[in-house]
Amino acid sequence: MINYTSNFKNINVNYKLKIKQDHCEFMVKIIKIENLNFAYSSNPENFVLKNINLEIDEGEFVILCGPTGCGKTTLIECINGLIPHFHSGVFVGNVIVAGKNTREYPVYEMSKHVGLVFQNPENQLISMNVEKELSFALENFGYNPIEIRKKVDEILKIMDIENIRYSAPYDLSGGQQQRVAIASILTLDPDIIILDEPTSNLDPMGAIKILELINQLNKEQGKTIILIEHRLEIVLKYSTRIIAMNNGQIILNDETKKAISNDILEDLGLRIPKIIKLYKLLKRDGFYIENIPLTIEDLAHEILKLAEYHD
Amino acid sequence: MSYTSASLLDLFKFRRKNTPIHKLDPRTKLYYAITISILSLIFSDIIPLGIIFLSIIPLFIIAKSFKFLLKTLQGLFFLVLIILIIDTLFISLSIAISMSLRLFCLISSFSLFFLTTHLDDFSQALIQMHFPYSFAFALSLSVRFIPTLGLETKMIMDAQMSRGLELQKGNLIKRIKKFIPIIIPMIVLSIRRALLIAESLEARGFGIEKKRTYLYQLKLTWKDYLITFILTIILSLSIYFVYFYGLPPILTTKLPI
Amino acid sequence: MIECYNIKYTYDGINYALDDICLKIDNAEFVGIIGENGAGKTTLAKCINGLLRPQYGKILIDGEDISKFSVAQIAKKIGFVFQNSDHQIFEQTVEDEIKFGLKNLKFSPEEIEERLENIIKKLDLEKYRNISPFELSGGERKRVALASILCLDPEILILDEPTLGQDMKQKEYLVKLIENLRKKGKTIIIITHDIEFAAEYIPRIIVMAKGKIIADGPREIITQNNFILEKSSVILPQLAQLTKILKSYNIFKSFNCNFADVHNYYYELKKYLKKK
Repeated sequence: MINYTSNFKNINVNYKLKIKQDHCEFMVKIIKIENLNFAYSSNPENFVLKNINLEIDEGEFVILCGPTGCGKTTLIECINGLIPHFHSGVFVGNVIVAGKNTREYPVYEMSKHVGLVFQNPENQLISMNVEKELSFALENFGYNPIEIRKKVDEILKIMDIENIRYSAPYDLSGGQQQRVAIASILTLDPDIIILDEPTSNLDPMGAIKILELINQLNKEQGKTIILIEHRLEIVLKYSTRIIAMNNGQIILNDETKKAISNDILEDLGLRIPKIIKLYKLLKRDGFYIENIPLTIEDLAHEILKLAEYHD
Repeated sequence: MSYTSASLLDLFKFRRKNTPIHKLDPRTKLYYAITISILSLIFSDIIPLGIIFLSIIPLFIIAKSFKFLLKTLQGLFFLVLIILIIDTLFISLSIAISMSLRLFCLISSFSLFFLTTHLDDFSQALIQMHFPYSFAFALSLSVRFIPTLGLETKMIMDAQMSRGLELQKGNLIKRIKKFIPIIIPMIVLSIRRALLIAESLEARGFGIEKKRTYLYQLKLTWKDYLITFILTIILSLSIYFVYFYGLPPILTTKLPI
Repeated sequence: MIECYNIKYTYDGINYALDDICLKIDNAEFVGIIGENGAGKTTLAKCINGLLRPQYGKILIDGEDISKFSVAQIAKKIGFVFQNSDHQIFEQTVEDEIKFGLKNLKFSPEEIEERLENIIKKLDLEKYRNISPFELSGGERKRVALASILCLDPEILILDEPTLGQDMKQKEYLVKLIENLRKKGKTIIIITHDIEFAAEYIPRIIVMAKGKIIADGPREIITQNNFILEKSSVILPQLAQLTKILKSYNIFKSFNCNFADVHNYYYELKKYLKKK
């Protein structure tokens, strides 16, 4: 369960009461999407999301994938409320996040529960230095400066970016920028963090580091993660579930091991990790593999077992 | 970019240094720049203007930015030359020199302000002077993206030059037309970026709380109050002497030409 | 043929983005340049097409020193497809966009029409001819940008991160395109982070780190060598990692497989398992 009290000790009483109230309305599933259909107002005949039904548990690590244009970004913007409040259109159905229906709450209310990190960090870092970037959201919400100072120091430590506290965003490397972008939404302490292709501007080592960090946020801090990512081979081992979309619809929604061996992913043209392809070939030719390998070590392990069996 | 324009922009760019002037509240420094500007407009004689100009010099030295003052003079050189020639021919040498001094005072006083004030402090000063937050925010956001835009322009120029675009060739009209392949991608990318920034701001609560708080607040110290007081006295006395009492003749000496 | 002799380039006068680079690329070669961000890959590419002029060293294209030519003149021989197609798209229709480069390089109107038709057919852009490129999706815009460079028919083609954000279909399309170009004798240089792509398709790999070339050789060797790749923060391709782990066990000691594509690798693996 989410521990609300620890981070909100110094705020005024009225706010605390409101939190308790929301706590009571809290449902088991942290995200519940019912019959979601959406078309942008610029093209109301064309539904970019069709009949989306989805439930996500707290603490899950979900990979959202699909070919370009399938509606992934649209879907995540429905979860944090940018749709329907920022982008208008034909919105059918309900999206309930942490007990709140996104139709009834403005985006800033939802951002207390859902933090959204966009693709290119350069377009999210709007301040002249990292410290100000982190305090931005808290300042907007009217927290008192002492609280802000505490929270900023805390996040700087957690994200391991204390050394760039006063650096300007354009002086940072891609990986550092991405860290700062994530840190800036963490200050609001959301339960859910959604990331849209966080590794697209990073080299392979940078990608691994960021994805490890995201995994830490999930396993150590209990954040629910929804990740749009192409480099499946790195995140497969962290994820609990894979959701695949095509043409505005969800065509696959299953726990990782079951989902990854489903041929549908390859049919969509997605980059399936080579270890999975290899595993499928082995299985097709009758080799017995007990566990679906999610990492290279796993596959090596299974192949060794096969070799010993034949010996 | 020509040498002149590069140096002119330079002297309005903030440099981080640890001097008493850098530490002053931006509001005080702004008041100083405005006061000096008013003074240089009130007086039209060489000696008073000369005194004002000479009084600015030590401030630049304290702010460890003397070389920027020299760059100002260098940058304004041609402009001043033109003023001197035209005014001497049509009016008098005295007026010419006065105009030049006036120009120097105006520009260097504001230059001092910008050289010693970080944009964020300036932005905060505006907010604490009760300018609307969105105004101050728009200002700092624009400045924050200047390096990014600069880099992007370079990338666009690289891409178009690699397709055979030659920016240096051709007459004036042709050269202006050649900037279209640079400007349009810049505009499109900027608009796209603006939308993305807007989404990011919305998702972080921008604009919700009428009582927005600030991590850093500017506080006026005794030095700020003292300087403001002194400046006000000087300004009031100057106005009195120029418009009401009359300046002593020695201050209004003019050159024979 | 591209020849680089002792190239040194610095952006700020202090740090060398390119530190004593010596390189030779023959006609019709297919070369990949890999390495961490900041290693100097794009800097090197920009020196080759004249956008950047190295402070030291010489670059010869087909025997001629390019320092006396302008970027526009070099553009006749070297086509550079940048990472972000949005940095070049500006015309009102796809047709005009493609014609832009052709006009700049002063082709005759007849030639322009001919090349336009050719490339539109080749890259399957017929249905987008009169549409504004700004209305197209990201992938389609990339294709338009590619078309606008390919129609110039350069001898040497440099592609900066062509596989970024592309799914399998788009990648296969790219591979076919490159194959066709190579058949015509074109030299292809790809700058990429995508080690899997490089390991599968690019025969010669150059690894850069901190402004220097630290390795230059066939992909079968380079992409299996963790020692080299580590120095430039590049990770081994998945199958190479698998081989490395397997080989640490006695049973697989003599398992030598440097295929980067799954099917060939699997074949070898099966053979090996059957032997055992």
